[in-house]
Amino acid sequence: MKPLMLQGHERAITQIKYNREGDLLFSSAKDVTPNVWYSLNGERLGTYNGHTGAVWCIDVDWKTTKFLSGAADNTLRLWDVATGVEIGNISSNSAVRTCSFSYSADLASYSTDQAMKQDCEIFIVDARNDESFKSSAPILRMTVPDSKVTSLIWGTLDHTIITGHEDGAITQWDLRTGKSIESVKDHQGSINDMQKNRQGTMFVTASKDKTSKLFDVDDLSVHKVYVTERPVNSASLSPKYDHVVLGGGQDAMDVTTTAAQAGKFDARFFHVIFEEEFARVKGHFGPINSLAFHPDGESFSTGGEDGFIRVQSFDPTYKEFRFDY
Amino acid sequence: MAKKKDSEKHEDGQRGGKYNKDDADANELENFVDDITDEELLGDVLQKRPKVSDGVDTVIIVDGVPQVNPERFDKLKVVITKIFAQFGKILNDYYPKSENGHTKGYIFIEYEKHESALEAVTQANNYKLDKQHTFLINLFSDYKKYNDIPEKWEAPTLQPFPERPNLQYFLSEPDAFDQYYVYNVNSHIEVWLNSNPQPTKLVEREKWTESLIMWSPLGTYLATLHKQGVVLWGGPNFTNVLKLSHRNVQFVDFSPCEQYLVAYAPLDNDEQKLTIFDIRTGAEKRSFISDAPMAGNVLRWSKDDKYFARIGHNTLSVYETPSFGLLDKKSITVNGIRDFSWSPRDNVLAYWVAEDKDVPARVVLLEIPSRKEIRANNLFNVADCKIHWQKAGDYLCVKVDRYAKIKREKGDVKYSGMYFNFEIFHMREKNIPVDSVEIKEPIHAFAWEPIGSKFAIIHGEPSNNSVSFYNVKSGQAPVLLKKLDKHFCSHLFWSPAGQYIVIAEIRDSGALEFVDTADFTTMCSTEHYKATDIEWDPTGRFVATGVSSWKTKGDTGYWIWSFQGRILNRFNTNTYCHMQWRPRPPTLLSAKQQKDTKKSLKKYTSQFETKDKMRMTKASKEVIDKRRKLIKEFEEYRSKRLEDWNKQKAERMAIRSHIDTDELDSDDKNVQVEKVEFLVKEEVTVID
Repeated sequence: MKPLMLQGHERAITQIKYNREGDLLFSSAKDVTPNVWYSLNGERLGTYNGHTGAVWCIDVDWKTTKFLSGAADNTLRLWDVATGVEIGNISSNSAVRTCSFSYSADLASYSTDQAMKQDCEIFIVDARNDESFKSSAPILRMTVPDSKVTSLIWGTLDHTIITGHEDGAITQWDLRTGKSIESVKDHQGSINDMQKNRQGTMFVTASKDKTSKLFDVDDLSVHKVYVTERPVNSASLSPKYDHVVLGGGQDAMDVTTTAAQAGKFDARFFHVIFEEEFARVKGHFGPINSLAFHPDGESFSTGGEDGFIRVQSFDPTYKEFRFDY
Repeated sequence: MAKKKDSEKHEDGQRGGKYNKDDADANELENFVDDITDEELLGDVLQKRPKVSDGVDTVIIVDGVPQVNPERFDKLKVVITKIFAQFGKILNDYYPKSENGHTKGYIFIEYEKHESALEAVTQANNYKLDKQHTFLINLFSDYKKYNDIPEKWEAPTLQPFPERPNLQYFLSEPDAFDQYYVYNVNSHIEVWLNSNPQPTKLVEREKWTESLIMWSPLGTYLATLHKQGVVLWGGPNFTNVLKLSHRNVQFVDFSPCEQYLVAYAPLDNDEQKLTIFDIRTGAEKRSFISDAPMAGNVLRWSKDDKYFARIGHNTLSVYETPSFGLLDKKSITVNGIRDFSWSPRDNVLAYWVAEDKDVPARVVLLEIPSRKEIRANNLFNVADCKIHWQKAGDYLCVKVDRYAKIKREKGDVKYSGMYFNFEIFHMREKNIPVDSVEIKEPIHAFAWEPIGSKFAIIHGEPSNNSVSFYNVKSGQAPVLLKKLDKHFCSHLFWSPAGQYIVIAEIRDSGALEFVDTADFTTMCSTEHYKATDIEWDPTGRFVATGVSSWKTKGDTGYWIWSFQGRILNRFNTNTYCHMQWRPRPPTLLSAKQQKDTKKSLKKYTSQFETKDKMRMTKASKEVIDKRRKLIKEFEEYRSKRLEDWNKQKAERMAIRSHIDTDELDSDDKNVQVEKVEFLVKEEVTVID
């Protein structure tokens, strides 16, 4: 089926996310305005105006009432989804790289970049309402001195968070003690993305070391490995089938010198259990920076360095496809 | 040894107890028996003691010298000196004479260096001075050796026969699968069998070689190069078959029939030492010092290992085996010889001579051992020549780079208005007629069809290449069969079985085109991005393309294709450097048998197809078994985790305001159904 092309950003897409029901698709790019779209027809519903730097990360709560965005203008902003009004703004000492609502969405966490004389830090804030959000003191503040956080998700319920780091390490933090419980290093390169499965028992990583791995949320054990020839920027698990989709490609700075074919900008589908690739979807002219499955598993979206978002519904052949076993 | 004796003596002395304690040394000497030899005490010094042989090893004795009277003595001396001075500086000579002043027929010559004496013995022994006189030369020091020969002959002890593994085992592979080696970074070598549907790894060894690894031309041996020399491996387990010592060896070359091996090693002074070994015995046959650069083979072999030749300064030296002496004791003088090449089928070699002022360039076909010039072709305005033999030896093509203008600037020669001629020699016809094909555009590649009579040329301006195919028939000029225009390509790779060709671009894009030259259909147009190497298997059934980590970074590995360009297997390993198929000796079937086989191919195909199908089912069954196992393991893990998840349901509900969000539609109370209407099409119809 012909994909929907969402053209609203002026720069490379940094992150895309569906809300829980999947009727809306949120997107951010290296321009200053996050967008929200109807996922069904690709119509733009609105924008969130206010940032003054590239927006690195976004998240939406489970009720689709609050929207979070972190940017290179050293702010984390909270928005009202429906009206697009900014209801909270937290300043930090460096760019906000990751942000995420907890399961209850009462809490939110975000991390900041390493910068001059400034260590990478992880913050937990109260995101219940604008009052609590604005109160300057975070609930928890953890310093990460060695390797900066490049991706962040919440663990089971609201007890833990899991961070992926630039050196390939993955760390689990206990929010009651503010200490790391566990740290594993199964990747050789920066963890660009982590996404949980529907139940939140497992998550899939996307790493610069050209692989993607399936981890257990609780003990961080590796269960599956998906190997490609290019850095992986994003990976998402299908809520419906045992499929995982990987997106990435040649580093953005090398792209101009190589042909699109060689960059391998396809979205690549692997079987979760067999670790075998079975399909590719072409489309972007640059690396895929972020991708997501629709919560109903009937379509998926990709956001690329080329500034486009492509919403691709699956053909019947995809649904009929079965591995022999 | 000496020390131990000392301590023993010390004990002896104490037991004797007759000595004065104040002078222990003297007492020890009292019952001292001098049983220590000089060798034990001064072994190292004694080795340097002068020997009778010293100063004689530079002396040679020459027998078979003409006996002359005093009048002719001076003339003889001049002749002798001239012959022997070429091996080194002569310090002394001595001509024994009888009472009447006649020389006795033998002489002594002393050289400055031992090496010169040795050289004289090897080179001038059996030198024919004239019809009656042949020199017999020995080293003076050898005379002692020959004198000491024991009277009684002792039978040599029987040496145990070293059992060799079956070196031809790979040919008895029931399914005729071919082998290849893969050279990875850090000399990690793997040998694979290209089995269907998946290749199988046979051997894997770390640091198997210190520099190069290569198959011998008939595939019998795998040669590895080490600091100390060359090792040949063979047999089913790749056991060490032969070790050849040649320090710092950098390159080896086998003779076509695998009887001899030439090892090349650089010396300190920009020269290189080459040694020829007999592969069956491991014996060193002959060595040369060459000042030719380290690239390429200095020695080139005739097709039957009988002769080998090398280019000297204005000479072509042809040697014969097994004597390893110069053919007819003389090199062939060819002024301005530039390059030569043996025919792959006959003992004929082709060489070319550069233009020199008004003397035209020449391409000459020389028959060995008769040294008969069977054909010579004069060419004008020649900048360069390349000799290409067809594999069957029926045709020879000489690619001639010709110029319209020449400019000489300070020793530099600049050519302009280049055009190219392909001179085709019909070797099997009377008087070897020559045909010529002229192409005005730059030539990028030329290749003969290995079996058959076609050749292909890539020509044209770099961005706009064409591939032209010509056919050669006896008694006819080459006919242009097909010209494929506008092809982005740089190299030609014919199937070893002929007919099929891969036209490739292996400098940048890795574009591949598989063409059937029977009707010039493109069977497949594909690419292996950045491919650097392309290798046909020896049977012409498979093609391997590789991206070597020696040449580029990233995406390295090798892929195996069918001859039609269907991808069979991809091996993407970032350590891949090089692969080479194991060659096969030529078939033993007669031409008729081959033809019959081809005729009844239909009969065999069904047989092979069933076999392939069975292998496929077996393989797919294995895959399915593996998948079932994986699913079982994963489901166990997943259900355990789901159980945990179900247990947490209450907790989950609690923090999300007691709304069940586990499934998309599990919370039906808070759902608002929204109707979305799409404007599909707007049509304006004008009604009259």
